[in-house]
Amino acid sequence: MSYLGYNVKTVPTGLRKILYVNWALVLLLTAVASVGFLMLYSVAGGNFEPWADAQMKRFAAGIIGMLAIGFVPIWIWRNLSILAYLIALALLIAVDAFGTVGMGAQRWIELGPLRLQPSELMKVAQVLFLAAYYDWLDPKKVSRPLWVLFPVLIILAPVFLVLIQPDLGTALMLLAGGGIVMFIAGVSWWYFATVIAMIVAVVFAVFETRGTEMQLLRDYQYKRIDTFLDPGSDPLGAGYNIMQAQIALGSGGWSGKGYMQGTQSRLNFLPEKHTDFIFTTLAEEFGFVGATSLLSLYALIVAFCIFSAQANRDRFSALLTYGVGSMFFLFFAFNMAMVTGLVPVVGVPLPLVSYGGTAMVILLMAFGLVQSAHIHRPR
Amino acid sequence: MTRIPLRPLARILSARNRGENPDVIERENIRLRNEAVRDKARLRAEGRLLVLGVLFVAAFGAVGARMGLLAATVPVEPEVSMGGNSILAQRADIVDRQGRVLATNLVTHSLYAQPRLMVDPQGSAKKLVQIFPDLDEKRLVADFTGAKKFLWLRKRISPEQMQMVHEIGDPGLLFGPREMRLYPNGSLAAHVLGGASFGREGVHSAEVIGTAGVEKTFDGWLRDPANNGAPLQLSLDLTVQSTVEDVLAGGMKLMNAKGAAAVLMDVHTGEVVALASLPDFDPNTRPQPLVKGDPSDSPLFNRAIQGVYELGSTFKIFAVGQALELGLVNPQTMIDTKSPMIWGRHRIRDFHNYGAQLSVTEVIAKSSNVGTAHIALMIGADRQQAFFKSLGLMEPVPLEIAEAAAGKPILPKRWPDITTITTSYGHGISDSPLHLAAAYATMTNGGTRVVPTLLKTDKVQKGERVISEATSVKVRDLLRQVVVRGTASMGEVPGYSVAGKTGTADKTKPNGGYYEDKVVTTFASVFPSTDPKYVLIVSLDEPVETSGTEPRRTAGWTSVPVGAEIIRRVAPLLGLRPSVEPVATAAVTLAGN
Repeated sequence: MSYLGYNVKTVPTGLRKILYVNWALVLLLTAVASVGFLMLYSVAGGNFEPWADAQMKRFAAGIIGMLAIGFVPIWIWRNLSILAYLIALALLIAVDAFGTVGMGAQRWIELGPLRLQPSELMKVAQVLFLAAYYDWLDPKKVSRPLWVLFPVLIILAPVFLVLIQPDLGTALMLLAGGGIVMFIAGVSWWYFATVIAMIVAVVFAVFETRGTEMQLLRDYQYKRIDTFLDPGSDPLGAGYNIMQAQIALGSGGWSGKGYMQGTQSRLNFLPEKHTDFIFTTLAEEFGFVGATSLLSLYALIVAFCIFSAQANRDRFSALLTYGVGSMFFLFFAFNMAMVTGLVPVVGVPLPLVSYGGTAMVILLMAFGLVQSAHIHRPR
Repeated sequence: MTRIPLRPLARILSARNRGENPDVIERENIRLRNEAVRDKARLRAEGRLLVLGVLFVAAFGAVGARMGLLAATVPVEPEVSMGGNSILAQRADIVDRQGRVLATNLVTHSLYAQPRLMVDPQGSAKKLVQIFPDLDEKRLVADFTGAKKFLWLRKRISPEQMQMVHEIGDPGLLFGPREMRLYPNGSLAAHVLGGASFGREGVHSAEVIGTAGVEKTFDGWLRDPANNGAPLQLSLDLTVQSTVEDVLAGGMKLMNAKGAAAVLMDVHTGEVVALASLPDFDPNTRPQPLVKGDPSDSPLFNRAIQGVYELGSTFKIFAVGQALELGLVNPQTMIDTKSPMIWGRHRIRDFHNYGAQLSVTEVIAKSSNVGTAHIALMIGADRQQAFFKSLGLMEPVPLEIAEAAAGKPILPKRWPDITTITTSYGHGISDSPLHLAAAYATMTNGGTRVVPTLLKTDKVQKGERVISEATSVKVRDLLRQVVVRGTASMGEVPGYSVAGKTGTADKTKPNGGYYEDKVVTTFASVFPSTDPKYVLIVSLDEPVETSGTEPRRTAGWTSVPVGAEIIRRVAPLLGLRPSVEPVATAAVTLAGN
């Protein structure tokens, strides 16, 4: 049911919108980002250069962007959603065609001084578009095959484009994030059961075809799976990341070694210590207590999204907020599970904490959409 | 489900009758219907949300539990299993009789490279050359960028070097812990300790094996984990050993000798308290054995054990002691000393001509070859050989040291009377200083056989009886006279009543005959003579004492002063109290008059 069906007279206007911003959420985001600044300062050996300083500037820009987006009425974003999706898709195609190659994958487009990672943009655009789609679609039709096929295509097109970059982590997140939006929108259980059965079949196929002409994954991806199953098998090679990360987590103990006292990260044992594996530094320096505190902050952010969505009677706003919250959840759950050795290393950064420009700005923009939905909710 | 029509006829008609717009009713119904659909969707979404929430909570729980688990584990550094058994590295310490460390272990590190893991081969090679200037940068770069998977860079590096390599920060440069044998006292007791080197070498440890000395003899024991790291305690005394080496080195220099050896042994327990051989070496950097030339010129050569020489006049006391034991003579018996003595084709001379006759005491004190020869002839070849054998002079000394077996005496092939004569004054038979120490201990300790040992025992050996107590006392008194007024007059140390016998033997040429000007001088001494506790043998190789008008090479001028100085210095260390000498025993004093 569209927002247009409601009375919009109660929506705040002008500067009064500032009062209706979900300030608790802003505070939580700032808290998490501050943890990131602390850790980046620490891994640089007590320096703002080269990471913490740049990250703080990006966060400031991101917060301003978030509020700007939040003040724009939500129905405008809904009407722009298909455009956002198409632009993101076009950029993804562009990055596959002539993007910059980095770390064995083609993920960035250079736009002058800016390095854009379209797969990050797609995470938000996809959620936006799916929410708009289910808002427009008659709830009675959501489980009809033809109306299911369309969102599946919306999800699979970017997933495919990201997979060939290759970036397994982001592809999995797009898949899971889109699936969650569909699930909340009310698509029949049977579809999900079928998809899960198919995933099991694909996993089976992936392992069966290994070593043959038709193997489905790259060699390094197989290697990562092997390493996941037994990190000790190759501690100096592919298992190095995860072994060192777990040593860092273990050596942190309950209360940690103290700020700036972590040896694993300080002595360069940890690869990617300022990006994907920054959580290990935190766990080493602040221990179990610090790690679970960060986990709680994340959980609070997700909880705020869910409460905000539940209180919102507009279908588009609710779906969008659920979607962004889920995407955020997937982000840090994947990263923490990866670092603690629960899932294979797939290269997902820790949201708001890991060093990285695009991811942070785009995540804050997504929360801008959540703010917009919150401010312009029907009352 | 009953559907409410959007335009119920009855209501529309009644509305029309009242003049109202019937479309309002339709709009109202559409709104209600939509709200019903929306509520249904919300209800369903909330059910879905619950499922999702459960999943979220489960994920939170899994990550949290996993973190708790990891936080609770003790971190273990990953170890690469290289296959095969790990090498047992722990080696027991070696300590002296007071428990002071002679040999211990030090954990050092080796440095190796795994070029595949290297981030910056060129830069790392450059920095490595700055740390280890003897490495070749070009070769390193070639090795680092080539096909090699593994490369030793250094077998042992110091902690400072390790830190510097660490600071290069290249993950391809790796360290392996390894134990190193350390001899904290440097060259002290080098010949006894021997040395150790690396056996099988792995990345994570290296086997340390004894290559010489007690390290080799007790290799199995030192490496036996069943000992729980108990140290090997030697009979050596670090302080005494150090003093002996100091004085010996000074004496060797003063006497222009090319080598020197000293053995200090407890006459009752057979414990070797000090054993020195010069020149020596540092077992921490044990030199390579000589490939050509005389092995005795190598510092590795242990003169005290391997150095078998004709020990000359020091042997005379054995002939005299045996004759006393057999009742053939007593200290006052007059012996024919007319020089030269002619025996077949051989002429036996004394250093000086001592006239027609000397008492047995004087034969020893003045060291008369002729007199000893006559006494030996009284004993005869068979009894003489049996006596030598009972003193241990005919076979290697079974000391617990790898080199002991090499100290094999050189014995005459046949034993005619002329051999009996020459061996009685120490020619034609070659023994080591250690042999002499054991034999002198046996002669003076009361007459029972003593076998030298390097292990601390503190136990008086109850060996077989060689001579009677009474004879042993007579032997002591005879030896005491050598110092009091004989050839070893420089050996007197006030308060310690030194007794001893000198020996000066010409060195044999490699192809037969004797050198005119190359001698081995020996001073065999026991102290205190009233109740002997220790035997000291000092031997100098090719000494020349040049303070006088012409060079002097006899033991009395060379080995004896060195021996006396050693006794003067070590006797207090050994806990011996100086004593005023008793008004000598009557028998000997009478004979002297």
